[in-house]
Amino acid sequence: MKRRPISLALRLTVSIGAVIVVVLLVFGWIVERSIDQHFVQQDVDELAAVVQAVAQILVEPQTNNEQLKRRLASAVSGHHNAQFHLTKTSGEVIYATPGSDLSGFLQTSRVSDALDIHSVSNWQDQGHHYRGAVLMLPGGVAVSGQPLLLVVATDIDFHLHYLEDFRIYLKLITLVACLIAIFATWFAVYQGHAPLRRISGEIRRIKSDHLSIRLAPTTVPVELTELAVSFNDMLDRIEEGFQRLSNFSADIAHELRSPITNLRTQTEVALSQTRDVAQYREILYSNLEEYERMAKMVGDMLFLAQAEKQQLQGEYGQVNLAEEVQVLFEYFEAWAEERAVTLDCTGPAVWVYGNRLMLRRALSNLLANAMRYTAEGERVSVTLELHGSDRVLIQVANPSAEIAPEHLPKLFDRFYRADPSRQHKGVGAGLGLAIVKSIVMAHGGRVSANYIDQQIVFRIELPRAFDSVG
Amino acid sequence: MKLLVVEDEVKTGDYLQQGLTESGFVVDLARTGLDGHHLALTEPYDLIILDVMLPDVDGWRIVQALRAAQATTPVLFLTARDSVEDRVKGLDLGADDYLIKPFAFSELLARVRTLLRRGMTPVFNDQLQVADLLLDLPRRRAQRHGVRINLTNKEFALLELLVRRQGEVLPRSLIASQVWDMNFDSDTNVIDVAIRRLRAKIDDDFVPKLIHTVRGMGYMLDVNGED
Repeated sequence: MKRRPISLALRLTVSIGAVIVVVLLVFGWIVERSIDQHFVQQDVDELAAVVQAVAQILVEPQTNNEQLKRRLASAVSGHHNAQFHLTKTSGEVIYATPGSDLSGFLQTSRVSDALDIHSVSNWQDQGHHYRGAVLMLPGGVAVSGQPLLLVVATDIDFHLHYLEDFRIYLKLITLVACLIAIFATWFAVYQGHAPLRRISGEIRRIKSDHLSIRLAPTTVPVELTELAVSFNDMLDRIEEGFQRLSNFSADIAHELRSPITNLRTQTEVALSQTRDVAQYREILYSNLEEYERMAKMVGDMLFLAQAEKQQLQGEYGQVNLAEEVQVLFEYFEAWAEERAVTLDCTGPAVWVYGNRLMLRRALSNLLANAMRYTAEGERVSVTLELHGSDRVLIQVANPSAEIAPEHLPKLFDRFYRADPSRQHKGVGAGLGLAIVKSIVMAHGGRVSANYIDQQIVFRIELPRAFDSVG
Repeated sequence: MKLLVVEDEVKTGDYLQQGLTESGFVVDLARTGLDGHHLALTEPYDLIILDVMLPDVDGWRIVQALRAAQATTPVLFLTARDSVEDRVKGLDLGADDYLIKPFAFSELLARVRTLLRRGMTPVFNDQLQVADLLLDLPRRRAQRHGVRINLTNKEFALLELLVRRQGEVLPRSLIASQVWDMNFDSDTNVIDVAIRRLRAKIDDDFVPKLIHTVRGMGYMLDVNGED
């Protein structure tokens, strides 16, 4: 069993939700990064202030070492997180902020010339986090021009704590935002499907007795217009089929009404007084003719019903249409000669795949129809030809008075008679061409009627048989 | 010739019995499937006419039982169900022919006679004769009262059919099927025209008239016919 596709709402929610989550995560990462950068910059600025102060002190002439140390101690005043060691290149300590131990850092860090974001680095000592740098300072007058090594650092525990809290806070906010976004998406999708539910409600109102209801394509969102239009088209077709079906039932009732009326009237009149045997016989014969007509109509209608339900089975095989036409010409020969109607057939032997009996019946009905409406001395011509690479075209033409183009397609309708006065003159029930059409359709073909050069031409297109033996 | 008709529809049964009796057959009528089943298996018949739709034991079961008992009696089905599967089923079960309701009685009669003839050894005559009409089958020639009559191939086939089934009413549909292989009703008076032309050749200049029209039913060739 094929799995049912995932629901549209879920599909949209998942895809839109994923995008929103990614966007929020990236955004959070950027915020975190920039705050981090901001703190680094802040630390660098603080360290720079200390370095600046130390450098300033070094270029001032100092009276003695004690004074120098006092001055240096004051360099970190106001920067209570900052601390520094000032040493000679020989390792001799000039000054170290009391209580600080920066020796570990001095060993792991490289020496820079200037202080900026890239020359600072972090390290950890006794549970505290520091950021600092090792700088080579040109010696000032205070140290008689010797270059000095300055190790400067600041405690960043406070910043790290803040960042830690901020990260948790950010994660929480992102999570909540994601949930809200996903829910909002789902709600929007659900709301977006409202027109679908509305249409579905409208469709539900359509019953077989309310087939005229149509969806209004202009009242639905643009995306659903096509759906509404094709749904309406489908309804058109169904309504048409339904209409045809109910017309058909009405036609049957109507067509049966006249023979039944005839029979009934005739029988009632016959019984109204005593008649001689010859008269009774005459009435019974007349009745027999009516019965025969009704039986034939019922038979034809059953055939049509079966054709419509695709129930026409039977043996299929290669059928040579040229041969079939010849056989039918032989059958109609006497009738044609008597009416001085010429029959001719031109074209190659064309083969179709089909049921010989049914195709013969279709051709017979077409020929009978053509001959019936052909005046004495005229000609019924059958043309066979290949049409394209895979179709066979059969045309049956006979001279005829002009038929209005709008009547032409109706010729294949049941009980349709081009000339209403021909009704019940031994012309049959008006089902002959309908049977032609149903047989041709059952074979995957097409029928049409055209009026060309004072001739009515019935065109039948059938799929050609390829693996023909002939 | 003894026939069994199994038909539950009262009117149809009565008229079948009457019509077949008047056509010279001895007819037993069973009005239920059970009676029909019993009669078919116990009495010898030359042919059985079975309605398919019976309230108790349907026609299919009767023909099945009959064939299971190795009986070769020809069976003709009457059915109102006109679907290919039904027909195939009936023939598969061993029925010999079927007729779809509503049918013409003349058609039924013609089919019954065809089925009854099937069992007989065919007589291979070179010649057929009715009154002074003589058919030379191998040479496909006809003559009447010693006069050679020119017939087309189909006219000869038509005449041969009428002569072979002399005295039987042949419905138009049967003629179309036997002579032209047209197994459907063509909505035309083709057969009437063909008969008319044949008549002009073999009857117009001779007495007695041989081909007779049976109004509403078909045509018959006989020496003494009503017309």
